This record gives sequence, C-alpha cells and structure tokens, in this order.
Amino acid sequence: MRISRPAGWLIALALGGCGGSSNLTADRLADGSPMATPTAAVDVSGARRLTRTEFDNTVRDLLGDITSSGFGMLPPDAYDPFDNDYRTQLPSPTLIEALEVLATNAAARLAADPARRSAILPCTPSGPADATCFRNFIVRFGRKALRRPLSTDEVQSLLGFQAFSVEGNDFFIGVQLVIRTLLQHPELVYRLEVGTPVDGADGIFRLNNYEVATRLSYFLWGTTPPDWLLDLADAGRLQSAESIRSAASRLLQDPRANARVARFHGLWLGYHQLPHSAELTQALQTETSALVNKVVFEDQADYFELFRSNQTYINDFLADHYGLPRPGSSSFQWVNYGSSGRKGIMSQGAFLSAGAKFNDTSPTQRGIFVRSRLLCQRILPPPPSVNPDQPPTSPVSSCKVDRYASHASVGSCAACHQNLDPVGFGLENYDRAGRFRATDDGHPECPITGNGRIAEMGAFNGPAALEDLLLASGQLEQCVVTQVYRFAMGKQESADDAGLITSLTTKFRGNNRSFKQLLLDVASNETFAFRRAE
Amino acid sequence: MPPFKLSRRTVLKGIGGVSLALPLLDAMVDSSPAFAQTALPKRYVLCFGGQSLGCDGDPLHNDYVPNIVGPNYDLKSALAPFADHNNIKNEISVVSGLTIPSANGGSIPPGGRDDFFHVSSLSPLLSGVRSPSPEAVCYGPSSDQLMVDVLAGSSTFRSLIFRIQADWYLSGSAPFGRDAISYRANPRGSPIPIPPTISPALAFNALFGNFTPSQDQQEAARRNFELRSRRSVLDRVGSSSAALLPRLGTADRIRLEQHYDEIRTLEHRIAAIPPVQTSTCQRPPDPGADPALGGAQHIDDSGILVYDQNLGYSGEEERARVFCDLIHMAITCDLTRVVSLQMTMFQSHMNVFPLTGQPFDVHELGHSPLGTLGVSRAIAWHMKHFGYLVAKLRDTPEGDGNLLTNTALVFLHEGGHGRDPSSGSLESSHSTENMACLIAGRVGGLSPGRHVVAAGKHPANVVLTAMQAAGYPQNSLGEVNGDIPALRG
Repeated sequence: MRISRPAGWLIALALGGCGGSSNLTADRLADGSPMATPTAAVDVSGARRLTRTEFDNTVRDLLGDITSSGFGMLPPDAYDPFDNDYRTQLPSPTLIEALEVLATNAAARLAADPARRSAILPCTPSGPADATCFRNFIVRFGRKALRRPLSTDEVQSLLGFQAFSVEGNDFFIGVQLVIRTLLQHPELVYRLEVGTPVDGADGIFRLNNYEVATRLSYFLWGTTPPDWLLDLADAGRLQSAESIRSAASRLLQDPRANARVARFHGLWLGYHQLPHSAELTQALQTETSALVNKVVFEDQADYFELFRSNQTYINDFLADHYGLPRPGSSSFQWVNYGSSGRKGIMSQGAFLSAGAKFNDTSPTQRGIFVRSRLLCQRILPPPPSVNPDQPPTSPVSSCKVDRYASHASVGSCAACHQNLDPVGFGLENYDRAGRFRATDDGHPECPITGNGRIAEMGAFNGPAALEDLLLASGQLEQCVVTQVYRFAMGKQESADDAGLITSLTTKFRGNNRSFKQLLLDVASNETFAFRRAE
Repeated sequence: MPPFKLSRRTVLKGIGGVSLALPLLDAMVDSSPAFAQTALPKRYVLCFGGQSLGCDGDPLHNDYVPNIVGPNYDLKSALAPFADHNNIKNEISVVSGLTIPSANGGSIPPGGRDDFFHVSSLSPLLSGVRSPSPEAVCYGPSSDQLMVDVLAGSSTFRSLIFRIQADWYLSGSAPFGRDAISYRANPRGSPIPIPPTISPALAFNALFGNFTPSQDQQEAARRNFELRSRRSVLDRVGSSSAALLPRLGTADRIRLEQHYDEIRTLEHRIAAIPPVQTSTCQRPPDPGADPALGGAQHIDDSGILVYDQNLGYSGEEERARVFCDLIHMAITCDLTRVVSLQMTMFQSHMNVFPLTGQPFDVHELGHSPLGTLGVSRAIAWHMKHFGYLVAKLRDTPEGDGNLLTNTALVFLHEGGHGRDPSSGSLESSHSTENMACLIAGRVGGLSPGRHVVAAGKHPANVVLTAMQAAGYPQNSLGEVNGDIPALRG
C-alpha cells in the first residue's frame, strides 16, 4: 500500500471556511501603506534544520565543495511532499555523528585542494603563526558560515586554533579546525530566528537583518546568503518591504533561483524522484523542468501557461517514448504538440508517473494526487476495515473500470471513492510513464474511454481537459500560493494564515499570475520580517 | 593478601593518557582470573523483524513454532539457521502462543491495538502501551531505552541504535515512523523516536575510530594531535550553547537543548577511555564505504523502469553482518550495554530476492501465493543473522562464562497469523494472533534453549522477562504486567 499520513477518512478543504479572519487584508497590502506591525497573521517559526539538500548546497557555496556528501549520511528528510517540515526534524546521535564526519571530511578536502584553499583566504599567510591573516579569515568565513558577524568572544575562541597551526607547522591546520567547528555549529545547521519583541504585540518579534537575509536566501536559493546580501544586512537595509523585495529580486536573477523553483515543482508534483530508468527519469525531469523554467523565468508568462502550453521540450528518445514525431536530434528541442491531444505539464510523463500502484496507474491514487496537490484538499486515509494492499477485484470482469466499480458498490467506500476514482479514470489513457494507450495494460479486450469527472466541477477526458477544468475552477491559484507558502515556511499553514494566503492569491491573479511576482510577494509581504513565538 | 584487582578504566585514568600506546597488563585482559572477579556488566539487546509469521489464505499459521515443547526443540524452516554455529538453538528459546489483543470493534484493550493491522502492533510490542489508532507512533518508551537507565552506567555509548534495512524502497511514499523501534521517554509529551544509524561506516567510526593506537610512536603522536584537535573543535561547538540558548524561545530552546545534549554525549564518548586491546576486545576490520542505497526498480519489456520487488537492494546482507560484528565487539569491549537492532522496518518493503531468491518484498510476500512456507524463508534470513550474533556472544569468553552469561536478547516479529479483526479472515497475515518471539542469553537466571508455550501471554511479557533478568526493577512494561517464569531455569 502507499502510505499517506493517517488522520481520518473524509475529504475536507484545507483552507475553506477556516475562520481565517485576519487584520491583514488585501486592501491594506495593496494600498502601499508603510509596513505596520502585523499581528494575527504573523506565522510561528521554529528552528529549521537545513535539509540534506540545503546542507550540501551550503557546503558547496561556503567551500566550493561539490561532493554533496551530506545526502547519504545525514538522517533522511521526511517528504510530505516537501522535505523541510521542521516539526519532523529530530536530533539524534546519527545526526551529530554525521555532522562531525561531514565537517571533518569537507575541511580535509579543502586543505588538499590548493585552488579552493587559497580562494577561501582573504590574505596570504606569512607562516603558521600569522595571526592577522588567521583573524581575517575567521571574521570573513565566520560571517558567511553563521550568516551573521561573529562576536569578539567567538573570534577570540576560534583564534585559539592557531596553537595547532604552530604545533603542526601548517597555517591550514587552524583553518581546517575553524571550518570543522563552523560546519557543525548549531547556528549553521539550524536557521534560528530570534528577533526583537514588538511593542504592544504580544509574542510577535521583528527579525533582525541577518535573519531576514537567511529567510530570503533559503527560500529562494535553498542555500546560504551570498556576501552581498550579508552586506545589506550589515548596513541594516533589510527591514522595509521595498528593500527586501529588491534583494529578493536580485536573488531571482541567479541560476540558484532557477534550481530552487525547479526543486519546488519537483517536490510538489512528486517528480524529484521517478520510478523509471535513469535515462527516462532524467529525460522526463529535463522536459518538465524546462517548461517550468520557460514559464517562470524565460517568458515570465502567466503561470497558467504551465498547464496550457502547446509546446514541450523533448528529444528523439522522449519522442519515441511518447509516440510523438521525432524532432530529429538527441538534444532537446521545443516542439509543438500538434494534434496529439496533449498540452501542459499534466500531459508530461513526469506528472503522469504520480500515483502508480500495483505496477499500473491507480485511478484512486491519481485522484488523491490531483485533489491534494493541485486543489489542496485534504484526503484522509481509508477506514481501518479496508485492506489497501489488495487491488480491487470484480467477479465478472478483469477490466479495470469494472474492478474499480467495487469501490462504488459499497456505500462506505463510495462516499470517498466517488470523489477520487473518476478523477483518475479521466487520465487512464495515459500510462504510468505518460504513454498513450487505448486499452488496459495486458487486457486488449478492455477499452479505455478516458472519461473522467471532478464531482464539483464537471466531466473531462484526458489531461488537457482536466487542466482546462482546473484553470476554470478558480481554485488553482490559491492552491499554488498555499504550496509555495508551505515550502517557504517549512510547515503546513494554520487557520490564521488564511488571510495572508488569500491576499497573496489576489495579488497573484492581479499580476497576470506571474510566479516570479508571487515569490517576490511572499518575500516582501507584511509579515515576512516578523515571527510569532511558537 | 586478596588478589589485586585492576580495571582497564582505573589503569588508564591513573595514567591520564588517552591515546598513548600502553603496554598490555595481564590484569587488563578480560579472560584473566583477576578481571573475572570484578562485577561484570549486564546487557540488553532488542531485535525486530517487520513481518508476520504466516501468509494470507494459508491455513498454516507458521513454519516457525516447534512441535516439541521444552528443550531440544525441532527446527522448522523459519528457524532452520539455528542448526548452525553448533546448534545455536541451544542458546535461544522460542516463546509461542502469544497474542496482542485487538479492539474487535470495541474499545482498545490495555496493551492492545486498533483493528487495522498496519502498524498498530508497534506500540504494544515496543512499549506495552495500546495503540489508539493504526499509526506508527509509540505511546510509551521502548524497552531498550528503559534499560538504558538501568544498565548504561558509565559505558561510552548509552545505547546503540542500528537499522539494517537501509531504504524504504517504495517511491511516492515514506515510512512515516515505520523506520524506528527506539523511543525515549519525553516528560513533555509522547515518546520521541530515535532515528537509527543505517551507515555501518558511521557506526564503525563512532565505535572504534579512536581505538587503542598502534605502538608506532609517530602514529601515536599523530592520533594524539587529531584527538586533541577534535576535542577542541567539539568543545567550541558545544560551548556555543551558553550564548545561544538563553536567547531562544521556549520551543526552540527545547529543540536545541536536545541537539546540544547529543553533542555532549559525543564529547563524553570521545573523552571516555578508548577500548584497549585484550584477548577478546579487538578493533574489528574497517567495513569501508557503505553499500550503495538501491532503488527497487527494473526496466520492463517496453523500456520503462517499474517498481520491482526483486531488484532493489542496498547491501542488507553486508550491512547485517557488519552491524552484528560491531554490536558483538561493542559489547565485548563494554562500549555499550544496550542495543536496538531493527533488521527490517515495520511493514517492510525490503526486497528479499537478492537474499532468498523469492520474487517479492517482505510485505508482499505475506500477501503472495507463496504461502507460509514462502514467508518463512524471509524470516529465516533474519534468523540467520540473529543466530550469528548470539553465537558470537556465546563464543566470546567473559569471566567464568561467556558474554551470553550476562546478556538478555529478545527478537520480536511484527505480527502473527490468524484472524484479522478488520476483515474477519481467519488465515490472515494481518493478525496478532498466534504470535511468537525469541529470547536468548543467560543473565538473571534465564534458561534458553527451550520452546515455551505461553498461551494468551503478550509479547511484552517476554520482553519484560528479558528486562527483569537484566535488572529491570519494575513488574510491568507499559500496560502489560508480569513476566513468564518458565523462561528462567
């Protein structure tokens, strides 16, 4: 069985009617008034540990180390679907041991690499006892690693490592020990937000400039802030909405932002891992990431283009896979879908790989996927009396549509499955890797109609028609905003956040659904520089 | 004049050096008579396999429980590996007739479970506390962590927590708690799972990275320098708490306190006297890099890679062997007195094809047409490694006996076979009827090598018997009371 978080078994809207009255209204955001002290809508924040990927990105950007060695050694992150829910992050002996080994090995690799080693130093040491050069390194690297200036005491303490340099007659011994210390320092491993209490707003804190820089950088890049952003923090220029927005805008010009947006989509829509061969997995991820990048960054188009693009980015291998005309090259090209009936991301294999079960597509799982990921509805697991380990069966037919009919024949099953299975059946003409098929796998006697239905929206046939239905529903924008918000905050939204999400959604619509503008709006919304005590 | 007693620890503390090359004194060798007279530590080892004993639709509940009751029991296929190591079965008792009660449509009884099988046996098995819902949540501390308070004393590692199954294997889902069996008590709320180490390399480094240095002076000096550097680094990492913690809000302070606690534990371990080579305590061979994590996919006829139960493999055979070797040596060297070894996850999707040649994963095997005999072959894979571990402990002398003399081990299985209260099927792997488990070791008068029928008893009664034998002072584990006296001599 596929595992989902248990909680009950009814379908509920995550946001609808959540009593989200808030003093943060769209009007106040839109009129451009100076940033007031927000209250009700400020979200709680807790210590967020870097994910495995964020840790590897951070080591890469601090040391130029591209080994990504944290991924195999740090405790696995929980994917639900994002990998950064801080409430799932537990300290453990394994975490501590892994951090120590990772820090030690990364420092040793740096010491053995003359080019990277000199790049990290702001000076050329005159010898192992060069205290000035060592201090300069500590001050510079320390600010970068802990994302804030070191205190005098901290600098002094790290200077003590120079005794080891002198003893071993090697300046870089001390450098290694500083790096080993800071790479496993809790203030690197966790993003800690403290801030200062806001007068008259109980439990609300204004983040300091460095905390804002860190929030921005991990949200938009998934890694540690660059020097220029820390310079802005040094200058105290990350407190107004305008300055934060401008910094965010600059972050979005860097390729790390493209990678971050790609990762958001891969986690959200589940294709960061695919159950296919390495070649097909890479091809499908290339195809979908290219579309995301084109819509978000290259064209800065209406985000709905993601769901209605008539072009896709494939090579001959992928064309053969889909049964589309070959572009005539092993390198990827943009080609028109033509009369294939496909359009948008939901016609792509990366998306259509979601929700497979029993080595086939599962209409139920696909229905859950569409409702939970694209409509942000909460789908609760089946009741205890159901054994989801067994595929549905029919006494009269081996055709899938008949077998799944057993879900509808039992009253207690039908209540949920009538909202799930018909969604998936609308995608049935596309197999678990996105290839078209007219009949059930292994059952040529079982034709697939591709007729599907979202109970509250209407009938559709195929992914293109499903996309039309979702785009017309008026619900997609809010769900996209909600997913971005979850990714940004590292947790599920609470009822108090409904007002903020609604206002961000309004702006998203008003900005021709520009995803870049959405990211900027999230980064510069009235609450971004604040936190609520947990 | 009484015999002169000298512990390794005393000697090393007296000398004050940590990584100096030390001469071996006869009095420091475990098997010497002088050492034998000092109080020997007791140990507790908890092992787990995430599988039921039988297969759906098979009237045979298991091929595990012997026909013979008492000593010299017969070995069925699931326990066949116990014929190895010179009949290691003589050191292992089988306890059958066990049950975890289900709600049966009503309220959940003490120590019982929700009617839905997956993964409602977790809490009753590990903590003796009932599961109010079918979730991978433990509602009380697990037995191993309770034993830490009783046994750990000054040992370097308060417990070792390892898992052999190194990957969840399914794509599109996550273990959500099926991947841990150790839970520590939490005064502020529900018990906290302790993520196990899956990396043999990390475990080796932690346990034996600072083992007795070589006699080579230059190498000894290098190690001494590295050890001082390492301590100096950790001292700075750990002491950052003084400035940081007071600034944090309550919730974050609690999180970071836990993190700093773990750092202090690591510092404590490094500061501890490293084990010194004796006739039995030897640095095991470095296992090298971990086996690669394997996906459970293969390419089908049309070129698509699909989930395949037969191909995903993360080197669990090698991981099992290395972890058992490390556990054995950690106990021999008294680096730890409490071990938790999760061989497979709850509802395990570990692929058994590379291990037993069966075309299923552990979980699907229970729902497969291969029947209870097929299921038993996957159980036997677990038993092969458990038997190996028990044999290594038996074959290591300590005091007047061997390591088993002072050790209690338990092996728990996730389910039994019989009636599934949620479907009503009488031949289901989704059942906690007809459960069985293993207990080994001779500490506290345990008398292994027998098949004991403990009809109507709870697996936690067996766990409690092992705990009490190793010194646990209470007469209950969670909501389950009492031991099974027949397991003692």
